[in-house]
Amino acid sequence: MNEWIYIQNAVVPALWKGLVVSIELIVPSAIMGLLLGIVVGTLRVYGSVFLRLLSDGYVVLFRGVPLLVQLFTWYFGLPHIGIFLSPFSASVLGFTLCSAAYHSEYVRGALLSIKRGQIMAAQSLGFSTLDTLRYIVLPQAIRRALPGCGNEIIYLIKYSSLAYMITCIELTGQAKALASQSFKYLEIFLIVGFIYLVLVSIASWLLNKLENALVIPGFELYKS
Amino acid sequence: MTNRDPILKIENISKKYGSKEILRSISLEIKKGETKVLIGPSGAGKSTLLQCINFLVMPDTGKVYLDGRCINSRKKKELYTYRQQVGMIFQDFNLFDHLTALENVSIGLIRVKKIKRSEANERAMQELKRVGLEEHANKYPAQLSGGQKQRVSIARALAMDPKVMLLDEPTSALDPELVGEVLNVIRNLVESGMTMLMATHQINFAAAVADEIIFMENGTIIEHGPPQEILFKPKNSRTKSFCSKINEIYGDMLT
Ligand SMILES: Nc1ncnc2c1ncn2[C@@H]1O[C@H](COP(=O)(O)OP(=O)(O)OP(=O)(O)O)[C@@H](O)[C@H]1O
Ligand SMILES: [Mg+2]
Repeated sequence: MNEWIYIQNAVVPALWKGLVVSIELIVPSAIMGLLLGIVVGTLRVYGSVFLRLLSDGYVVLFRGVPLLVQLFTWYFGLPHIGIFLSPFSASVLGFTLCSAAYHSEYVRGALLSIKRGQIMAAQSLGFSTLDTLRYIVLPQAIRRALPGCGNEIIYLIKYSSLAYMITCIELTGQAKALASQSFKYLEIFLIVGFIYLVLVSIASWLLNKLENALVIPGFELYKS
Repeated sequence: MTNRDPILKIENISKKYGSKEILRSISLEIKKGETKVLIGPSGAGKSTLLQCINFLVMPDTGKVYLDGRCINSRKKKELYTYRQQVGMIFQDFNLFDHLTALENVSIGLIRVKKIKRSEANERAMQELKRVGLEEHANKYPAQLSGGQKQRVSIARALAMDPKVMLLDEPTSALDPELVGEVLNVIRNLVESGMTMLMATHQINFAAAVADEIIFMENGTIIEHGPPQEILFKPKNSRTKSFCSKINEIYGDMLT
């Protein structure tokens, strides 16, 4: 009974607060990460030699360095060169840059799978290079990249828990604080685990709906 | 400009891949309403030539004139405007896979010609009717047969009101029973006065519709002239042997 009151009075409000912060971290990071990933993936395939090298380098770096190290760099490192980010901004920056690197990988693969004939046909109609990309290549590539990008967003939901390491107290951070006060580690982390599971399930469901909405004959294969 | 001036003229087009010469100083011209057919063995450079004409492949040297104007392919605007006026039909159709038949035809009107969507769709529907596909307007390429796809691609080119059309073996990728429907559409184009340059192995069809047949081999034009002359009384021995070989493969077409 005591336990129940504790959960109601302390755990629920704290976790709720944490959940709100988590969602505030995840949503913009997912959107910006995806958009940046599309740009970077496109540059990696169609950019000039210089842009290709630059974007390839970016991906090597951000996929290769542990996310936690990246977050520490943004939060604890940048102040040394005079840039001060709040824990929240540093987290969103870190998640976006890391997520974009992974997204770009899926986008790149999808772009490479578009047949050259599609591009030649567009050019023969008088499409500019940019319009060919916008209206012909990307709409097809995004359909093909979607399952992979969806996966990356699912990962993002889970690794957003790293934000608490740079003092952005989101869901996991709140749980950690509660647990170290009450020593009810098992109960609290079971609840938190369950909440992440629900978040991931909702995201999967939404992504699935999106994929279904985008399915057209000839592209069903790419449905996950 | 009189009717006798060429609509499309190409001068000394050459193209190398590495050290391999694919096109050696090719020149030809087409007058309004003419149909010229390119024949020649595989690897002769027919596709490369057609792609050089609208700069899908950049020629190393040579000039292309449309309506007497020399096209500067380095000026993007000029290049894009030129390409709108030159329709291209590919061997493997190259329909946009993510768009319906109707959208395939209207997208150039909407995105390139900047025509209002409703007008563009109306025009696209007209073109689909012209190739006999109005009931298939809402199908995606994956739902169409090869012959239907090629007809959509012809409608897509026609919607742009091209001054000349380049066709690269439009029926080579089709099952034999589907060749006829596409050839019919092309025959109608010939009759409606479209100006065309077409590569094909359908000698029989070429003989029926071409004003001139151009025989190419190893990147050069070996011989050209009216179908009767090229197919039945070729001066060049290589033209002769090619035509008889084609005859063997495609049956008793010339008899
Ligand atoms: N991108 C390329 N790189 C190198 N060589 C090429 C390239 N494209 C074509 N070639 C070569 O150019 C030559 C001419 O090819 P092309 O496709 O123009 O011939 P074609 O007359 O159209 O033949 P087909 O009847 O088989 O279509 C061939 O030897 C081919 O191998
Ligand atoms: Mg060819």
